[in-house]
Amino acid sequence: MNPFNRPREFGEGAVRHASTAAALRVATRARPVNLKARLSTVLLLLSLAGTGLVVRAVDLQVLRKDFYQEQGDARYLREVPIPVSRGTILDRNGEPLAVSTPVVSIWANPQELLQHAGRIAELAQALGVDEATLKAKLDQRADKEFLYLKRHLNPDDAKLILERKIPGVSSQREFRRYYPSGEVLAHVLGFNNIDDRGQEGLELAFDEWLAGKPGAKRVMRDRLGHVIEDVELLREPQPGRDLTLSIDRRIQSLAYRQLKRTLLEHGASSGSIVVLDARNGEILATVNQPSFNPNAVNNGDTSIRRNRALTDVVEPGSTMKAFTIAAGLESGKWKPDTPIDTAPGTMPLANHIIRDTSNKGLIDVTGVLTRSSNVGAAKIGLSLSSEHLYDMFKRVGFGESTGSGFPGEAAGVLPPAKGWGQVEKATLSYGYGLNATPMQMAQAYAVLADGGRLRAPTFVKGAQNPDRAVLDPALAKTIIGMLETVITPRGTGLRAAVRNYRVAGKTGTSRRAIAGGYESRYISMFAGLAPASNPRLVAVVVIHDPQGAYTGGMVAAPAFSRVMDGALRLLDVPPDNVEKWYSDGSGNWAPIEAGDAAPEYAPGSTSYEEGEPTQ
Amino acid sequence: MSESQATRRSELPGRYDRGLLLAALGLIGLGVVMVASSSIPVADSQHKGSFYFVVRHLVFLALGTGLAITAMRLELEKIERHSGVVLLAGFALLLAVFVPGLGMRINGALRWIHLGISGFQPVEAFKLLLIAYLSSYLVRHRESVQRNFFGVIKPIAVAGVGVVLLLVQPDFGSAALVGATTVGLIWLGGARMRNLVFLGLPMMPVMAWAAMYAEYRIKRLTSFRDPFLDPFGDGYQLAQALIAVGRGEWFGVGLGGSVQKLFYLPEAHTDFILAVLAEELGLFGIVLVLGLFAWLCGRGLLLGARAVQRGLYFQGYVAFGISLCIALQAIVSIGVNLGVLPTKGLTLPLISSGGSSVMMTCAMIGVLLRVSYELTREEAQSAESTNARVHAGVWE
Repeated sequence: MNPFNRPREFGEGAVRHASTAAALRVATRARPVNLKARLSTVLLLLSLAGTGLVVRAVDLQVLRKDFYQEQGDARYLREVPIPVSRGTILDRNGEPLAVSTPVVSIWANPQELLQHAGRIAELAQALGVDEATLKAKLDQRADKEFLYLKRHLNPDDAKLILERKIPGVSSQREFRRYYPSGEVLAHVLGFNNIDDRGQEGLELAFDEWLAGKPGAKRVMRDRLGHVIEDVELLREPQPGRDLTLSIDRRIQSLAYRQLKRTLLEHGASSGSIVVLDARNGEILATVNQPSFNPNAVNNGDTSIRRNRALTDVVEPGSTMKAFTIAAGLESGKWKPDTPIDTAPGTMPLANHIIRDTSNKGLIDVTGVLTRSSNVGAAKIGLSLSSEHLYDMFKRVGFGESTGSGFPGEAAGVLPPAKGWGQVEKATLSYGYGLNATPMQMAQAYAVLADGGRLRAPTFVKGAQNPDRAVLDPALAKTIIGMLETVITPRGTGLRAAVRNYRVAGKTGTSRRAIAGGYESRYISMFAGLAPASNPRLVAVVVIHDPQGAYTGGMVAAPAFSRVMDGALRLLDVPPDNVEKWYSDGSGNWAPIEAGDAAPEYAPGSTSYEEGEPTQ
Repeated sequence: MSESQATRRSELPGRYDRGLLLAALGLIGLGVVMVASSSIPVADSQHKGSFYFVVRHLVFLALGTGLAITAMRLELEKIERHSGVVLLAGFALLLAVFVPGLGMRINGALRWIHLGISGFQPVEAFKLLLIAYLSSYLVRHRESVQRNFFGVIKPIAVAGVGVVLLLVQPDFGSAALVGATTVGLIWLGGARMRNLVFLGLPMMPVMAWAAMYAEYRIKRLTSFRDPFLDPFGDGYQLAQALIAVGRGEWFGVGLGGSVQKLFYLPEAHTDFILAVLAEELGLFGIVLVLGLFAWLCGRGLLLGARAVQRGLYFQGYVAFGISLCIALQAIVSIGVNLGVLPTKGLTLPLISSGGSSVMMTCAMIGVLLRVSYELTREEAQSAESTNARVHAGVWE
């Protein structure tokens, strides 16, 4: 094998062995060449080079590998979030109210995409955007690796773009919130931003609960950003949890429809309806007008996004009289049948005149509620200590937030008793000089409905909701009985009547307060409960700026009646007033109160509304 | 040689060197595996079909095998006799790249000629043709080459013209390789080192000028010292190659497991295939590749020595030239991959996916095998001959 073995030398050896003349001639004329030595040199040099390469490889792959591996890791190890889907919001019967649907966002790696600038036109067309705009956007981020091109696309639409396989264009799976109930529940649920985080409403209040916690993992990526390998799990993902609301979608829809109808019928500008479950303070419905489409939130008029039932305060007006009288009865100075002379329908006090809508003459305490006499309420209020009246209002929840936890909920204002003069005390007695949200009014009436127990209204079904006894149960029952007289032909709230059920409630009409006084715009209210014998539901209707008829009895009471009627039947609440109905000939049904003949009342006569004649 | 001898000779059995063949097949096999591993991501991203480059590589291997088999059946004497034509063909090919419409400019270099579906890099053929010419020259002018200065001028000048043509393309790596192979071959052919150095001196400024002429070459020359000084600019490719190598450790991340080939390392399946191999197979892989090249080229050089000893000078010099050329190219290519030499556009023979290179290296292996065949035939003949010819054992 080894050619060096046989003739030991090539050059000089060859000369020695040479026996031909030719060979000798060559040998003498040419300088002998030691090929063996030259070949050995070449082999040695090549071996040295090879050894040098092995040494270098050992250096790179064994000795200094950490440096290069760190450099590599820095290039392709990335921490990426593990997305979790947001919890569904359900109504109390398990109907979905807010669901997350998978969508696809298209993003680009500008560095890569710009290398294939020829396809930008095609991409722009696929995205439906202007090519120059897209190009400018890409150029602006030319040194970056990420740019959203279009977010929250329908997966099918995204597929059409991705199928073009434009270099540097990738997709990302995301979730988009969808609200099947649309504007009906828009204020309650609120909405999320494009990153699926709650911005308003319960989406915001329960954001952490719903969102869960995205996990994180370390992945290896190729240079184009594709994940090659999951390296390690950094944080376990916590999927968002579902949230079951106390809202009953059916009642919510019903209330919304009735609210909208009422606004249309009376040309009103805005309004709210709240329906509470009297037994546990759970909110069954909260609707507002105007509303918005939470599936397509734009940044136009943000005022339509307010959940007015919780964020906007009104002066509760006559609806407060129930609590003024509760304080009166509690003081022992007054009984339901204690007579009060409200003639002549006005009462001067300091430089202020308290007015009734008409001269109601000599009535009793019940009649103050039935016919909504400001003079009567003022007289009762003035007879009480400021502290007592303040305490009563405070106990039923006025002047502080209900604790529903709704973002941006207003607390209302109840001036402290020390500052009250005679006029303040008198006006507070019939609901002016303080303000409250419709939810607070509902909460206060729920105290009456639930035997004197105060609860925070809650949006969550089955939530821990401790109650606090704030009124004598017997007093609460008495007040309910007195409030039932409001829904009679003698009372101001006949239109709140619900067929087959006994209803207790109070109308309210207040002028809208503006800086320095009141303007001639009205807020029409009704707060009430049913069935009166065993209250189950509490509802409050507040309508702003009704045109024409504006009293609570004319505007809010019919809405209350229709909402209650539907809600009571949806919930299968047993009727407590069957067959005690008659028609007054106008097509309206009205209850006959057992053993309480109404002497003034005659079929066909005008009903006793506050002030304005019925139309 | 007389007619009767030639007839007799062709009747004698020769053997093709099995060791050479095994080493070459080992490298080719490793090459196919590595081309597959390193080219699939690129092929996928270009929507050419995963095995686009693999199939291409196999096609060129098949063409190369055809060339090799042709070479194996060709009496090398014929080539020796027509060395002038061979040289002209080599220069014709080198000049063809400058013919408009025929030359193909890729990345600013005119190194390819159009051949319909694929380009061809003439330098790959030129190397073999030049080796054949130089070998023939060394046989014809053995005395003057060994004796004096002027005998060396001509082959050096011929090679020098080739080098200059390569520099014009520009192909600095191939130019250096051709220059080094020429010097090595002529030295093994008996030229004095002194004469070679004299003649090499004027080439120095040419090379220096070529190196400095283009700014990118200066950058390459400087950035390879520490690619991490500018890892996202000039040092990008080398930094990525070194990361790949460093990730390999002793036995690599496993075949197919390279991350660097996923678009971090440019030219992963051609010039930088060794970095991917080092990442996937580790130090073991590098040693294996070096071992196979050492086996192939060492065997080729010893084969050449035996041939020269037997008086088959032309065959011997051709074996020297081919072995040197493959060895030097392998060393340079691996050196570039390991960051000890400035980045050049040189493929790793038999392994890189580079059509012309793999094809012509196959042809070179075919010629080497032919040398082994003619050598064993000659040995068998001389063993048979009772009165062994004197000149068979005498040579200079």
